[in-house]
Amino acid sequence: MAEVFARLSSRAIALGLGTLLLVAACSTGGTTGNQGASSTDVTVWTAWGGDELKAFRDVLKPFTDKTGIKVHITTNRDSTNQIANGIAAGTDLPDVAPGPTDPTQVKSWVSKGALKPIETALGSDQFKSYIDNTYPALTTPPSGQSDNPYIGVINGKHYFLMVKTQVKGLFWYNKKVFTGTAPKTFDELLALNPSQYGGAKNIFCAGFESGAASGWPASDQIDNIIMRQSGDQIYTNWIQGKVKFTDPAIKLGYQTFLKEVSGSTVFGGSNTALSTNFAKAGDPLFNSPPGCLFLEQATFIANFFHQNKGVTAGTDFDFFAHPSMGKTEFDGNVNGFYDQFSMYNDTPAARQLLQYLATKDAQQIWANAGGTLGAIKTLTYNDPIYKRAAEIANGAKNLLVTAGDFMPSDMQKAFWQSLLNVTRDPGSLDSQLKHLDQVQAAAYTTS
Amino acid sequence: MSAEQVTTRRESAVGAGVSTLDRLGYRLQRLPLHLVIIIFCAIWLVPTVGMIINSFRGVSDMGNSGWWTTLFPPHGFTLESYQQVLAIEGVTPSILYSVLITIPATVIQLAIATMGAYAFAWMNFPGRNLFFIVIVGLMVVPIQMTLIPVLQFFQLIHLNGTIMAVWLAHSGYGLPFEVFLLRNYLGGLPREIFESAEVDGAGHSVRFLRIAVPMTIPAIASLTIFVFLGIWNDLLVALTFLGTSPYRPFTVVITGLVTSLGGGWQFLTAAAVLQMALPLAVFIFLQRYFVRGITSGSVKG
Amino acid sequence: MDQIITAAVAVVAVPLVLLGYIVLGERVIEALPDRLQVAIRPYFWALPAIGFATIFMIYPLVRTVIISFRNSEDSDWIGFANYKYFFTFPDTLTSLRNSLLWLIFYTSISVILGLVIAILLDRVRYESLAKIAIFLPVPISAVAASIIWKFMFDYQAPGTPQTGTLNALIGTIGHEPVAWLINSTTNNAALIFVGIWTVTGFCMVIISASLKAISTEVLEAARMDGANEFQIVRLVVTPLLWPTITVVGTTMIINALKTFDIVYVMTNGAYDTDVIATQMFSQLQHSHYGRAAAVGVVLFIAIVPLLVVNIRRFQQQEEQR
Repeated sequence: MAEVFARLSSRAIALGLGTLLLVAACSTGGTTGNQGASSTDVTVWTAWGGDELKAFRDVLKPFTDKTGIKVHITTNRDSTNQIANGIAAGTDLPDVAPGPTDPTQVKSWVSKGALKPIETALGSDQFKSYIDNTYPALTTPPSGQSDNPYIGVINGKHYFLMVKTQVKGLFWYNKKVFTGTAPKTFDELLALNPSQYGGAKNIFCAGFESGAASGWPASDQIDNIIMRQSGDQIYTNWIQGKVKFTDPAIKLGYQTFLKEVSGSTVFGGSNTALSTNFAKAGDPLFNSPPGCLFLEQATFIANFFHQNKGVTAGTDFDFFAHPSMGKTEFDGNVNGFYDQFSMYNDTPAARQLLQYLATKDAQQIWANAGGTLGAIKTLTYNDPIYKRAAEIANGAKNLLVTAGDFMPSDMQKAFWQSLLNVTRDPGSLDSQLKHLDQVQAAAYTTS
Repeated sequence: MSAEQVTTRRESAVGAGVSTLDRLGYRLQRLPLHLVIIIFCAIWLVPTVGMIINSFRGVSDMGNSGWWTTLFPPHGFTLESYQQVLAIEGVTPSILYSVLITIPATVIQLAIATMGAYAFAWMNFPGRNLFFIVIVGLMVVPIQMTLIPVLQFFQLIHLNGTIMAVWLAHSGYGLPFEVFLLRNYLGGLPREIFESAEVDGAGHSVRFLRIAVPMTIPAIASLTIFVFLGIWNDLLVALTFLGTSPYRPFTVVITGLVTSLGGGWQFLTAAAVLQMALPLAVFIFLQRYFVRGITSGSVKG
Repeated sequence: MDQIITAAVAVVAVPLVLLGYIVLGERVIEALPDRLQVAIRPYFWALPAIGFATIFMIYPLVRTVIISFRNSEDSDWIGFANYKYFFTFPDTLTSLRNSLLWLIFYTSISVILGLVIAILLDRVRYESLAKIAIFLPVPISAVAASIIWKFMFDYQAPGTPQTGTLNALIGTIGHEPVAWLINSTTNNAALIFVGIWTVTGFCMVIISASLKAISTEVLEAARMDGANEFQIVRLVVTPLLWPTITVVGTTMIINALKTFDIVYVMTNGAYDTDVIATQMFSQLQHSHYGRAAAVGVVLFIAIVPLLVVNIRRFQQQEEQR
């Protein structure tokens, strides 16, 4: 019995081993990366999904139609980690993907040759017009410096291609409710009496919940305060860990922020602000009676108003810019952020893709789709909201990045959560700030 | 844990010739039992049922009212979320890739784990306990710490970006728990069976293949469910080891459903329902192996 | 298409190859002198498992230990600095405390519930259906589970209609809505409950498989002796299930220590709900590989005593059979 069994198995083994080897040979040859096809295919990783992804595909359609290059898009919210692992292990990297936000990583990846210069991708002519046409704050380091890792400029070379922009710190209101003039200063804003406007309950609505990233809307609010209260130098140094959280300037920022989320100023009290998802935070603007007068949020919120409440930009709702904190020299500081792509593999197809994305035609498709500003200054926007936002971006003296996004990730987490904690317990401010100093001391070191 | 031909418990408890009143009394006695079970089932079911119902509602409905409001008119049912999910580019092939990743990986690791567990359970060798502690203890190592060395290894053997890399990676990560569980089960099998087989002239391979494996079916069946599940729902291993390959499983494609800000999260309810359908089906299918008597007839006393 | 062929062949070829490995290998081994046989055979059988473990786990573990003593740029040895950080930094201490809570409550409750439910369900006719109900949360990914429980825990301002099931329920008895995930008194418990909810089905299934292997003769004998149902469960069933309970319990302990997804997706550790794994993740994201490595090593050392207990029990098992 065992003999039969064994004889049977021997044949089966031969078959199995043979096929397995054959298969191994086939699979390794077939699908590892796309090295041979690099003038006809390009792999793109992006964090975009849903409507953003749809808009991106619309942008790419003319490109693929014209050049026949196949663009393989993967939505990957973990791309920085994966690319870091890939660099360390020597595996294939995607051709085009977002660059890292951490300044140390930007420098490190540039020195390892993982990031390829945009100058190379675009060629000198197109690169020059890219620089001329894009918002200067996105491409040019402050004068006298050759580096700005936040916008991907290292040793005078650019490693980020800017494609989209958002403006933050805008105050959105229901046109049928708030019929007054936009307050020019923060104090004027706080002095408003909501019940005068349609019986509104509170001045502000807020929603800080965002799953694993909860707290980022709060970070936007405090960033806009600090940059106008204490100026861009202190703001930028603070992002780099050179200004402590217990510094009077930052503490003042927190205290001012707390005025925006106190029980009397924010709709539903602090628990509601903490529990409400940012996308729904503005819905009470359109209730009757209105829950609040204003929501502070970036340009992209206009889409959510439309989706949730069916209201139209310009007719039903509008925004005004962040009021001054009283220091006119800092009023030109505007908070924005951008979407960008970096090139990791210098292939003909990747170059062509980036060249296309840098054109006005490509970015105009994004502008037409709505929900965002492009990075090029001269795009036309049908939507009155985005037209005005573009003017703000254009007129900004400094378009400053969002602090939390550019801090080391452990610092970012502690920072965001400190905002949630002080919203919940305003009395804990001092201990929170002290704690943040501790985190800061450890986060910016390399051990 | 001996294996025997069995009768169901219910039959032995309610024999023939019992009066109606007795049966009623018996049923009433069991009322608390049923009550407790129903309460548990409710707690475990209600949240999931809520999500399933929500997957059939419109986006704004979901945000504005609780799912129980659909029980009364207007019901507001719509297939909007499912349409969104199925409209994602590349979603149908991704389901196939998920299957192609999951089944071979499951088969590979269960086969290797059973062999290894048999060795740990029934063979004595120096270092046996040490190896065992190390292999099982590795369950606790966070997977992120292993990514770079494993990537380097696959790079060495030119497997990065292939589906085989994903199979091997899943196998490597899953083995510790499987060896752990199977060793426990295999070790509990009665020595007499193996001894009598040895006396009859059966070598280790026969004892393993014709005695140990059939008797371990309930454990293997329950393991299969969880191994299948773990691989099916995995995102990180697939993303890391498939790298730039365009053949992506369902879990990866689904992340494209929601914007980077989280907009469109309502569609995730439909995606979640679709994603849990297959593992659930596997579970229901494997239920038949959770019956007493599967290991019947092979032992005397 | 070639992917499908590859997969199909793998599914067939791998068991065949292993089969061949066993059968052929045994034939070779049986040809050897007895003493050599006994020495070599175990390694032969365990080789695939040990091989995989070495590549995927052991080598990375060794590497992890080494990294834990270096700085994050991997350029210098810094001794125990990373470990010191872990045990003295307030954030990590909070995460340690919370992980301890998870360890105690998540483990004990899910194992006990799994056991109780397995035993109860064994006694009813609709066992299969009820099992499906309890098992249902298991195949749900953490992201989906967090969506479900977001619906359950949802909070709206007092005075407005509640969309969250729990707040709607307590609203019917006139209670104000509770911000379950924000309130310090409820948030850890809420997260741990979600954890228990997702994993009880797992415990139940594994324990049930072992429960089915208990012969009714043993139970009948106990009933003949006059034992009531409670006594049977306590004195007959549970001791027989003890090995499986230990395995499930150990796995749950490891799960508790590794819990990441639920906490990450629902709160990311905000409001003092942080656990070890979420702490580690934020370190890793900033390339603090050394600190993350130190955490990994501490976890590994922490469960070794647990595994020694398991080994002892296996040895008992061997003596008894």
